[in-house]
Amino acid sequence: MSPGDLDRALCGMEFPTDPNLIVGLDKADDAGVYKVTDDIAIIQTVDFFTPIVDDPYWFGQIAAANALSDVYAMGGVPKTAMNLVAFPIKEMDISVLRKIIQGGLDKMKEAGVVLVGGHSVEDKELKYGLSITGFIHPDRVLTKKDLKVGDCLILTKPLGTGIINTAIKGGLASKEIIKFVTGLMATLNRDAAEIMNDYPVHACTDITGFGLLGHLAEMVVDSNYGIEIWSEKIPVIPKALEYAGMGLVPAGAYKNREFRESMVDFAPSVDRLIQDIFFDPQTSGGLLICVNRESADDLVKSLKKKGINDAAVIGEVLSKPTGRIVVC
Amino acid sequence: MKQIDARGLACPAPVLQTKNAIEDENLNSIKVLVDNEAARQNVSRFLKSQGFKVSEQEREGDFHVTGGREGGVEPEGVMVEKQDTEQKKIMIMVANNCMGHGDDELGSKLMVSFLKTIKEMGDELWRLVFVNNGVKLAIKDSEVLPILKEYEKDGLYILVCGTCLTHFNLLDKKQVGETTNMLDIVTAMQLADKVINI
Repeated sequence: MSPGDLDRALCGMEFPTDPNLIVGLDKADDAGVYKVTDDIAIIQTVDFFTPIVDDPYWFGQIAAANALSDVYAMGGVPKTAMNLVAFPIKEMDISVLRKIIQGGLDKMKEAGVVLVGGHSVEDKELKYGLSITGFIHPDRVLTKKDLKVGDCLILTKPLGTGIINTAIKGGLASKEIIKFVTGLMATLNRDAAEIMNDYPVHACTDITGFGLLGHLAEMVVDSNYGIEIWSEKIPVIPKALEYAGMGLVPAGAYKNREFRESMVDFAPSVDRLIQDIFFDPQTSGGLLICVNRESADDLVKSLKKKGINDAAVIGEVLSKPTGRIVVC
Repeated sequence: MKQIDARGLACPAPVLQTKNAIEDENLNSIKVLVDNEAARQNVSRFLKSQGFKVSEQEREGDFHVTGGREGGVEPEGVMVEKQDTEQKKIMIMVANNCMGHGDDELGSKLMVSFLKTIKEMGDELWRLVFVNNGVKLAIKDSEVLPILKEYEKDGLYILVCGTCLTHFNLLDKKQVGETTNMLDIVTAMQLADKVINI
């Protein structure tokens, strides 16, 4: 659902509170965090969607990488997983489901996560995803909110998966680009998270359905700081700009824009197509890491050393305009 | 004028219907009916990319996107990359900064000459990939840098191995080509008609 719709569905509702609840629904963060002891908190998250690539095995991997990402974005370590399956058993061969689940399993294995169960329903439309539980020290939880003026923002994967996926749906994407984007979406954010945890990081989130600007908006909304990002520094998937120019922009990007446009100031030099890429909903996107300025370049260097070649410093936190994003 | 009713369809379906219609029938004027903002902008954008002049009207909650172009005019802007081109695709993989074994001074001269001469392959030269010691050809102060930059400007896709740059600590000295990974290289090998290893 679009961020605006979700907001309308949830606003004004009262959710039960608990002194051990560190991050709950009211904070609209990547995952919920609940303190169990003084040393351990659990992180819980769930995500599922309809197929975005044709190959079931890769779809399984991508769905798992995407679900695991929320735990990494909180600074945690994922431990257990549950499968969620909706499958049109009457129309589709069971081997398809086997491949999806195998893809998910292989990704969990890579992440060192065990599958402990799952739930399946019959549905006209195939859907797959996971609920993940992870661990973290209660004092080391990374939310979207503790940004400090002067911090730098680092993005670890290039943008544009929504646009490329639209081109794939339309049969217009080249084999080469499909392969590239599939690999990108199936790449775990684990390495990035592990490296980040060695640095004085103040906040982190992963870029998913709301797009880069939607997630940045969540960081600055109701805050006493602003964010400036530099278009030319932001990594973009090859071909995404070209496909955007052909009108292969997913409806989600327009909805993201509609919901958050009023918080964003675009410099006149920022082309409309580039703006669309910044609003483009991402599947299994990269981490957006907020770290103090002195450590930013070194963190990027470490990320690149580990093969995260697209990692880049893309912007900074400013004292004003408060609650707004400036794109130049 | 050909009219397409794409109401009730989600992106990218309205764009695809429009695309198919103008390509199959070689149309120079078309009207597309859509019922949501995303489809309106996408169809309008697509028509513009194909050289159409576009006008839009809102009627009872629907959008009428009308496009017209002069017959025989080549579309401006971007076109979809053809997936199956007739043209042969040659990939050259350079794994060293010298050509051949024996005398490195000679090998180095030969490599310069080789990289200057490959332009004779014309449009069939499709990818130039640098790995291992080869990445040293793509960095600052490399003798072949000007020629490589010229190739890149002419549209040759130059890939430089990121792992190798990192290994030699040359990541920030790279001056030409895109930093790449093994998946890209393997994919390129698979898609190429001919792979030449140097």
